[in-house]
Amino acid sequence: MHIPDGFIDGRTAALAAALSATGLGLALRQVRRELAPKRMPLLGLAAAFLFAAQMINFPVAGGTSGHLTGAVLVAALLGPAPAVVVLSTVLIVQCFLFADGGVLALGANIFNMALVAAISGHAIYRCVWRLLPGTSGRLAALAFAAWCSTVLASIACAGELAFSGTVTWSAAFPAMAGLHMLIGLGEGCISALVFATILRTRPDLAAQDLSMRSDGNRRRRAGYGLLVALGLAVFVTPLASSLPDGLETVATRLGFEHRAAPPLVSAPAADYRISAVKSPAATTAAAGVIGTLAAFGLALLLGRTLAARGADPVAPPRR
Amino acid sequence: MTAAIEVKDLHYRYHDGTAALRGICFAAAPGECVGLLGANGSGKSTLLLHLNGILPETPGNPPAIWIDGEALSRGSLERIRRKVGLVFQDPDDQLFCPTVREDVAFGPEQLGLSQNQVALRVQRALAMVSLDGYEQRNTHHLSRGEKRRVCIAGVLACEPTVLALDEPTSDLDPRGRREFKTLLAGIPATKLIASQDLEMVVEMCSRVIVLDHGLIVATGPTLQVLNDEALMLAHGLERPHILRHMHPHERS
Amino acid sequence: MRFHLLEHAHVTSDSPVHRLPAEIKLAATLAVLIVTVVMPLSRGGCFAAVAAALVASAAVARIPAGFLLRRLLLLSPFVIGVAVVNSLSAVASVPWQLVLMRSGLCLATVLLLSNTTPFSELLRVLRRLRVPPVMITTLALMYRYLFVLAEEAERMQRARTGRTFTRRRGIHWSVLASVAGQLFVRATERSERIYDAMCARGWK
Repeated sequence: MHIPDGFIDGRTAALAAALSATGLGLALRQVRRELAPKRMPLLGLAAAFLFAAQMINFPVAGGTSGHLTGAVLVAALLGPAPAVVVLSTVLIVQCFLFADGGVLALGANIFNMALVAAISGHAIYRCVWRLLPGTSGRLAALAFAAWCSTVLASIACAGELAFSGTVTWSAAFPAMAGLHMLIGLGEGCISALVFATILRTRPDLAAQDLSMRSDGNRRRRAGYGLLVALGLAVFVTPLASSLPDGLETVATRLGFEHRAAPPLVSAPAADYRISAVKSPAATTAAAGVIGTLAAFGLALLLGRTLAARGADPVAPPRR
Repeated sequence: MTAAIEVKDLHYRYHDGTAALRGICFAAAPGECVGLLGANGSGKSTLLLHLNGILPETPGNPPAIWIDGEALSRGSLERIRRKVGLVFQDPDDQLFCPTVREDVAFGPEQLGLSQNQVALRVQRALAMVSLDGYEQRNTHHLSRGEKRRVCIAGVLACEPTVLALDEPTSDLDPRGRREFKTLLAGIPATKLIASQDLEMVVEMCSRVIVLDHGLIVATGPTLQVLNDEALMLAHGLERPHILRHMHPHERS
Repeated sequence: MRFHLLEHAHVTSDSPVHRLPAEIKLAATLAVLIVTVVMPLSRGGCFAAVAAALVASAAVARIPAGFLLRRLLLLSPFVIGVAVVNSLSAVASVPWQLVLMRSGLCLATVLLLSNTTPFSELLRVLRRLRVPPVMITTLALMYRYLFVLAEEAERMQRARTGRTFTRRRGIHWSVLASVAGQLFVRATERSERIYDAMCARGWK
């Protein structure tokens, strides 16, 4: 989801940069104030960890593979503000050292993959965990939050591309959201598996979350939430209003395209259309709701399985 | 004469309650080179971390560590850290800066020296470990031996009077080991070397301390202690080969 | 899959471009990027000029052409994706050829910067620009340990696959996930030792 340079226009880049600079600034301030000095080097090491973990390939099917993005995993392990710093660091290094993601698009990438993904993901994780206590609930909450954050980040990305006029919203939104509803399943699954390993090895490390201790956090979290909502409102709302007519053409076109295009790209988009529902807007909404419910169900199942398994079947042999 | 290092009745427990050090007492004279021996988990590394006040997390009362006659306390922590240079077991833990220059300059910069003084210290420290011209090199791409030397340079740049080294030769090849011994011999500071490399200890140290499960079980002149086969075996060590081939006159 | 991105990181060479101060290179890069992104298609000459300047500086910096081309091709998934989506929609507002050209030029510019400027130099510039110290420390530590951890991940993955005798996917995923989990635990423990090492040299 790293947007390269040239895909978003100057206006979008500047807006996104302003939003992410504000968000990163807030996060840095909170980290400086509240993170114990002993934990300071952990931010850099967590960023290096994420970079290395992203290089581990998880085979999917037919030679394709996915990898961890890790926004919600890091947010769950360290708390939202450190996660924003860590994820931004990863994006900056990827951009300047490896030219992965554009320099002018860095603001947009930080907004999507650090702010939207970590903040919304962490909020969902905390809410669902509160509803479903226990280890299985925690893992399910993490998996579901990881899925949601992947989809939300992709919607923000689609919004920016459409806002720039690079693609039309009616084409970008279903394609990006649909594709990432699938990718998100992998992200949720990997995040929960990794988190389960950490819980088994060093359960104390899973409790480093800053936000769980300090009291003034509700307001601060509201601040971040506002920032994310503002960005989404700017990039997504004006486009979503023109949704109905655009989507209809896309639905028919994508349905047609389904036969020719590679399955990974078109399948989710094709699934998006539920023939029983006639209105396109309602179609989108229904597909979204069904997709979310399905992801939630899968997350619950995964949480149960992992928590029940307890011992890792591939745990290292005892010394 | 004041001892360079004096440790009196030092105790330490890990968070889980395991006793790591149980009443350690010893002293080292200025300029002395003392070997710290012991099996894995005997408490060597934990002891070294105490010399510099990294452990315990909150300085103990009454103080257990004296450096050049000054007790280690909250107030003297900063001064003691300037005096005691700690060389860690894994060079990758110690070299945390991207370039050699930045890493060697880290200590002097923390001391609040001017840019010129820092540059001078970096240059001098790198010259001492024969790594002149390595300033701009990326720390990650150095060989293990070179990393070791940069670690030493980073510590020497702070101009310590006491040098505490944790397994300094554990992963060096024979040439690296030889060069390292020459380098170490040329440093005038009081040295405490925790090591499993008994041949190096025989060559470098005049005296050794043997630790087992957090207790000092033997101390004395290197050759005398290392030749005591029963003692060495009882504490997870062995009499080094180098002593077996030594002429009887040299052993005493 | 992503290891290819690391390939250039070991290139150390020297040229007039390498020796330019990082501030100048960074400013020039930003200027080129902005010009490229805002320039309309009608000003074809500008794109040609940017391309010519890039080729000239790549030649002076002696960056292998094969490497640049290979890296440029890695951009293609995103470009193809956008092209496909665009070809579907009735009203594509920006022609995808323009997007392709812009992003190709921008990528080449950034590659040129990152291959001629050590990351620690960029950090120095950021420090001069008064970026908060927490951010600088985090960037520096990440850069220092990214290869250490990537190699650690590779070694662990190798050691694990060496003892894995089934090919069932479920098992495979949990093997990989436990490698990643262990990697996090080790990274945390290393961060604690680094903190000790920083304190030992007087960090406040």
